[in-house]
Amino acid sequence: MGYIELNVLNNQSSLAMGIDLGTTNSLAAVWKDDRPVIVHPEGKSGSVPSVIHFPSDGKQPDVGRAGRDHAAASPERTLFSIKRLMGRPAADLTDELARIPFPTNEGSDGVLRIDVDGRPFTPQELSALILSRVHDHGCRALSGEKPERVVITVPAYFDDAQRQATRDAARLAGLDLLRIVNEPTAACLAYGLDQEKSGTVAVYDLGGGTFDVSLLSIADGVFKVLSTAGDTHLGGDDFDYALVDLIVEGLRGELSDEELADPGFLTGARLAAERCKHALSTDPQADLHMVLASRGVTFHRTITREEFEDLIRPFVERTLDNCRRALSDAGVEPGEIDDVILVGGSTRIPFVRKSVESFFGRIPHTELNPDEVVALGAAVQAHILVGGNRDMLLLDVIPLSLGLETVGGAVSKLVTRNSTIPCSVTEGFTTYAEDQTGIDFHIVQGEREMVSDCRSLAKFQLKGIPPMPAGMARVAVRFHVDADGLLTVSAREESTGASTRVEVEPMSGLSDEEVERMLLASVEHAEEDFAVRRAADLVTEIGTMRTATARSLEGARENLDLETLQDIEAALETAEAATISPGDAAALQSARDELERATLPLAALLMDDVAKAALSGKRLEDV
Amino acid sequence: MTTCPHCGAELETSLGCGACQVPLEVTPDLDPFAALGLAPSAALDVEDLKAKHLKISRWIHPDYFAASPELRALAETNTGHLNAALETLEEPMRRADHIVSSLAGPSDAEVKDMPQVFLMEVLEWNEALAEARAADPGSAQRETALGLKPDLESQRSERVAAITKLLDPLPDSGSEALTTARLELNAVRYLDRALGELESLRLADAEAR
Repeated sequence: MGYIELNVLNNQSSLAMGIDLGTTNSLAAVWKDDRPVIVHPEGKSGSVPSVIHFPSDGKQPDVGRAGRDHAAASPERTLFSIKRLMGRPAADLTDELARIPFPTNEGSDGVLRIDVDGRPFTPQELSALILSRVHDHGCRALSGEKPERVVITVPAYFDDAQRQATRDAARLAGLDLLRIVNEPTAACLAYGLDQEKSGTVAVYDLGGGTFDVSLLSIADGVFKVLSTAGDTHLGGDDFDYALVDLIVEGLRGELSDEELADPGFLTGARLAAERCKHALSTDPQADLHMVLASRGVTFHRTITREEFEDLIRPFVERTLDNCRRALSDAGVEPGEIDDVILVGGSTRIPFVRKSVESFFGRIPHTELNPDEVVALGAAVQAHILVGGNRDMLLLDVIPLSLGLETVGGAVSKLVTRNSTIPCSVTEGFTTYAEDQTGIDFHIVQGEREMVSDCRSLAKFQLKGIPPMPAGMARVAVRFHVDADGLLTVSAREESTGASTRVEVEPMSGLSDEEVERMLLASVEHAEEDFAVRRAADLVTEIGTMRTATARSLEGARENLDLETLQDIEAALETAEAATISPGDAAALQSARDELERATLPLAALLMDDVAKAALSGKRLEDV
Repeated sequence: MTTCPHCGAELETSLGCGACQVPLEVTPDLDPFAALGLAPSAALDVEDLKAKHLKISRWIHPDYFAASPELRALAETNTGHLNAALETLEEPMRRADHIVSSLAGPSDAEVKDMPQVFLMEVLEWNEALAEARAADPGSAQRETALGLKPDLESQRSERVAAITKLLDPLPDSGSEALTTARLELNAVRYLDRALGELESLRLADAEAR
């Protein structure tokens, strides 16, 4: 089987794009003339601001530089730092949501919706807008070629839900995602290629919204990640907000609390803070300056580098704590690190550089532009994936442990953090009650001992276990983490082969159907379509349930008491009525639930028959 | 030794062929030693193990098969086995646990005890830990417990050495040595938990300061 496919691989067009989808800026690179290069149209920078501005006339949003140009004039219609919202439930995003100048709410799927003039956008859709913009921008430099295959980078510390959200964004942008690569790993690839290094390397990646540290060993072209640690809510944005707080405090006398909390005002303050921060990387002091023309208010203060360092010191300390953990996980002493690589715009800050240098006792590498190195590395990985290079290999790890809930809400870990991926682990479980026909599984991600302290990824049930005494069933649960760091779980009862396979769709995440719907649905009717579709699905489901109930009643009618029988018949009637004039999804849902409730005794009765049959040696199919 | 169905070369591992550089179909319950093409041993050289892992990764890693969905899926599965095998064998205690189970020795559910000679000390340590847990950060009880660390660590390396000795060369399947090894493994697990608890007490003390 192998040979034919290998030939196909060799003949395929070898261009694929690497995209660094950043919190503040995004960037694309491709492999060209034996090296990765940033792609940008003639005379323009390659960097595309990860900013979306929605014109008040309802026209198409301005994405990238155009969006950013509008931001200063109308911050109340501009979105920044969308990456911070990816794959996270609204409950975890209180700070972020306060800064969004549009109403937000959480959908029934647990995914955040940002309401722009009545049109809801998920973070996935917004990221897709940015991805499309970066992709187009890059393609304009490729004289007609439009590589649809891409590699997209994410923070190494992104969990399963955040990776899924990124994958969905790529699909929504119509791109063929070859691989999700961790940002620090990509950066290391770009450096390793330039200098043909070997040894142990630490990558310190402080971006706009996230921090990662990864330790790698490089030998003979194999880049093996030893450990990774990080914080998906720590970055240069936090430095900006520390300065924004100074503005807010300074204007407290002149503006009302409401005015100070206004997202438009805050965005303006943020832009002022960012200017000041950038200036402080080169100058010993800089102006923090904001004019609020509409209120005739001005804020002005000179910030020295020392003041700024005091403000950001706690954040930098947190990054060093993560470095300590990565070292301890890898079993490596700081002195054993041969090279330190700096990545991310925030590593331009002199205080950050100084702190990293003294922590590792080494002058960090800064030869490559810290804003470009991740995209360059993504292009290297894209080149490997399209078959252009078998001399290099990247072995990455999973950043957070994966496990299952066990008795008492404890976590049984199946895959421990920093395991090399892909990774398959199988573990055996059994039933704890007599004649138990199903087992519930709850998949979690995190390092803590209790389920309640970990991130809940998904729940599923393995059904169809034949009735047998407690502890007799042999259930094998297999976790497979693929090379993108995404988890698939399957469970199998080994004596009967009852099998369930779940693509882990995070508790707050888009289902495949939802992504399809977003791809297909027109902008205006998306929500309507969804309600109609849900109603249609319920009508089908109720139909199936009614048929099944009627069939089961034939054989079991005489064994049911009158009250139960009447209850079931009433529920059947309600269900039928609801499906005759459908339209209201809520009514359909309640009719469905009612039918399910009423038929529970019937189901129990049937289950009993199955159990008796099994014990008397009859085959299940004959019951 | 099995041979490659494509080229007939002898296989180092059934996960893939080094000559063709492709993954091959395998049975899912492949032994970790076999996955890495190594003879089962409790005292294997970890550097050797890592070198084998890299070598086989270069034959079968999914990155090299992105263009073909079927080969890519097979490469994903096989590399998943390979990496899980590395996880099992790299760490000496996990490796010993695997050896005891694969030679039909008792599981940790069947034998829950620790070696007799060890029990008196466990009682003392438990007492010190319980007192430290109840006491304030920086207190004398905390200091006493934290002072146990070198003791626990030297006990741990002693136990680990004992286990390797018990399992190298490999004992016969079902032999008494496996039960002894299980007792020792339980002791190491106890020590790891106690050391973990000391570490969290130390961190709490550091934070309080």
